[in-house]
Amino acid sequence: MTSWPKSTEDGTRAVHLPLGREAYRATHERQLRLHALRVQGAVPDTILSVEHDPVFTIGRRGSRENLLVSLDTLRHEGIAVYEVERGGDITYHGPGQVVLYPIVDLRGHSRDLARYVRNLEQTVIAFLASAGVTAQRRPGLPGVWVGERKIAAVGVHVRRWVTLHGLALNVRVNKEHFAMINPCGMRIEVVSLDDLVARRYSLGEVVAGLLSAMAPLFGWRIVEHSEEELVEGRP
Amino acid sequence: MAEVRLPDLGETGEVTIVEWFKREGDAVRVGEELLEVETEKTTFVIEAPQAGCLTRILKPQGERARFDDVLAQVD
Repeated sequence: MTSWPKSTEDGTRAVHLPLGREAYRATHERQLRLHALRVQGAVPDTILSVEHDPVFTIGRRGSRENLLVSLDTLRHEGIAVYEVERGGDITYHGPGQVVLYPIVDLRGHSRDLARYVRNLEQTVIAFLASAGVTAQRRPGLPGVWVGERKIAAVGVHVRRWVTLHGLALNVRVNKEHFAMINPCGMRIEVVSLDDLVARRYSLGEVVAGLLSAMAPLFGWRIVEHSEEELVEGRP
Repeated sequence: MAEVRLPDLGETGEVTIVEWFKREGDAVRVGEELLEVETEKTTFVIEAPQAGCLTRILKPQGERARFDDVLAQVD
């Protein structure tokens, strides 16, 4: 078993696992593996960052009725559909979107679900502020919004006090794909970072920006590792 | 006998019972997943506090619950 240092002077150690581009199913299986290890205390809090191939995922409250196109259309467009255990309705992931999956033991974070979700939203708001974009929460509407347009989605599942799923921020997404669903069961307009700022951020820059915003909110010092290093506890 | 109560989830207010994985009369092991509740955008799984028989479900699927509400009884 591993011997992760629990904390240092400058915060609790958390690991960033950058996955680059990966299909939804592969990342989901990876999340479940790491969730089991986190429950056992074999790995520290870990944040996966990924860009997915196009996929619609339907949450526990979701329904295929909010999918507005036929399965044939989806096949033609190369878009997969998965039903997943997170809260919320249907959502889209695809190229040009940064997704973070923090696998966090909430017993080390006040066991507070609402605060956890708020901190995920605040991560996005703080990063966007650094990019010159004013974003906010809207009462009763989860996620992060710029005016009345949604820029980031949040959905979380907690088992044995350890989180799965997380947040998805639109950097430059295919709006035609988004138009195929009724996101979260509501007719809402989505927006990408590219629509709002002149500078073209790379997805790597966005991941780095989000992690910088996230670290102080969660009291983390974030270090980057591969899954092998993480699981073998080498670092 | 043990009561299955909604744990303190922090500032989270009311939750909705999404699904029971077990039915009344089912045998359960300690730590086995009993039910899932949902708050805004978050789902949370509650486990059996002890081994025994799930004798009574007091908050069926679709009902709302708050911190410390008794959800079920395991005898």
